[in-house]
Amino acid sequence: MGPTEDARPVVRLRNIHKSFGANHVLKGIDLTVGQGQHVVIFGPSGSGKSTLLRTTNLLETPDSGSVWFDGKEYGPGIEGEDLPRGKARLLRQQIGMVFQQFNLFPHITALDNVALALRRVKKMKQADAELQAARYLARVGLLDKVAAYPAQLSGGQQQRVAIARSLVMEPKVMLFDEPTSALDPELVGEVLAVMRNLAESGMTMVVVTHEMGFAREAGDLNIFMDEGVVVETGGRELYDDAREPRTRAFFEAIL
Amino acid sequence: MFDFGVRILAQARFRPEFIWENRDVFLSGVRLTVFIAIVAFALATVFGLAVALLRMSKNRLVAPLMAAYINIFRAIPLLVFVVFVYYGIAIQFDVRISAIQAGILVLTLQYSAWLGEIFRGGIQAVSDGQTQAALSVGMSRPQTFFRVVLPQAIRIVIPPTGNMFIGMIKDSSLVFIIGVPELFRVSSVMANRTFRYFEVYLGAVLFYLILTTAAYFGVKYLEKRFALVDVLTTKVRSPLARRRGIRLRMLQEAVAAEREAESSRTATAI
Ligand SMILES: Nc1ncnc2c1ncn2[C@@H]1O[C@H](COP(=O)(O)OP(=O)(O)OP(=O)(O)O)[C@@H](O)[C@H]1O
Ligand SMILES: [Mg+2]
Repeated sequence: MGPTEDARPVVRLRNIHKSFGANHVLKGIDLTVGQGQHVVIFGPSGSGKSTLLRTTNLLETPDSGSVWFDGKEYGPGIEGEDLPRGKARLLRQQIGMVFQQFNLFPHITALDNVALALRRVKKMKQADAELQAARYLARVGLLDKVAAYPAQLSGGQQQRVAIARSLVMEPKVMLFDEPTSALDPELVGEVLAVMRNLAESGMTMVVVTHEMGFAREAGDLNIFMDEGVVVETGGRELYDDAREPRTRAFFEAIL
Repeated sequence: MFDFGVRILAQARFRPEFIWENRDVFLSGVRLTVFIAIVAFALATVFGLAVALLRMSKNRLVAPLMAAYINIFRAIPLLVFVVFVYYGIAIQFDVRISAIQAGILVLTLQYSAWLGEIFRGGIQAVSDGQTQAALSVGMSRPQTFFRVVLPQAIRIVIPPTGNMFIGMIKDSSLVFIIGVPELFRVSSVMANRTFRYFEVYLGAVLFYLILTTAAYFGVKYLEKRFALVDVLTTKVRSPLARRRGIRLRMLQEAVAAEREAESSRTATAI
């Protein structure tokens, strides 16, 4: 189903290192994400998955390494290379992110949550921004909730609004950080359905998840991370015959 | 007049109308009290916000400096502080400053320290995830602060800030000591002249009560104004909210129609 290996790269991380104080969290990560590819990352708690996603859109600045996106260098870069440089803000406008805790803005309505960046970043007029925002809320099945505040929505609805809030910026890549793990089990399905639709529409996605059903179905490139390094990478076959004992042990533990 | 003892007795009799008869004196004091409280509070709010932001600065010099500012100005008794500034500093360094200005200055300094701590608490109570989410859709740092963090922090700090304003009304009476003719000062001058201590101070108490009660209801009103109301599912009374409800309903219909047309088009194409 997924695109072939030689799909045009959109994001390329090379030799990314990141420490928090003495805690060396990312120890030389390399990852290339091709156009339309669906990357699934999994690994034990504390292995650095969230940090890796946050580094990809520069919510964390890497200590060293290259964050290459669509022809420009956004990170510290690789010595000797002289690529054109881009601003973090420009990168973030083109890469969407969905968080485990939704992080909707609680003081404004669902519609305003989605319209805010259109107004402030894309400088759209209010009426245009609201129409566009309503279209995206409709896409995630929440047109009836335009006037609701986040506190009035279920977890699943909140996460769908959060997805619409990212999608409305028409990003080239979407990052998902365990988007369903804060949800009650009966609400997981509605969020995964939206993500499946998005994957089918050809969106480039990097997803940290332990939803193995979704991962097996959508993951073109599957990555097992442990202690800040990529332990193993593979296609769909990874789930059934992983080479690395650590990967196997992890699958056995969560299945 | 003819018998001193009778006169004293007559004066001791409670004459509530005395307060009404001297309302102009009280009101002149009320006006100045309100003026001082509002001006000092407005200034303290602006400075307090600056103090809070600087206190959270990552700069190794600025943050401790602001912590010191907060601790020093909170620790000096207001009465002592007023006297020190007006009689001490102003005279020693020959600063030309009116009593009212000195009073407002001192109230502003002390209250900006208190408010700075309240604001910092409010800002820090907004989770880091909010900032991350705002940045992740491409908003700038200032946009993130003013559009996402500050509005949430304001809701958090309205009640404690309202209490501070009520405190300001009460504390403004302390500038009487440097001769500012606010409510308490004009009252005590009147009492000393007329010997009607009970009536005069009862009047002062009543006027302070009226002011603080009005401020209390003002804060309640603000809390309500800032409450979040779903205009589509709640019965709303404000015309603004009603108009917004109508607009949102039209928006829903427009988008629903658009999707309807879309799906029938793809259906016929197949
Ligand atoms: N902002 C931060 N400051 C300090 N340490 C951090 C920060 N963010 C993450 N860490 C540390 O980095 C390590 C990796 O954290 P990270 O959140 O990336 O792991 P994870 O793989 O996403 O785990 P989980 O499955 O629990 O979400 C942890 O030890 C964590 O304590
Ligand atoms: Mg995580």
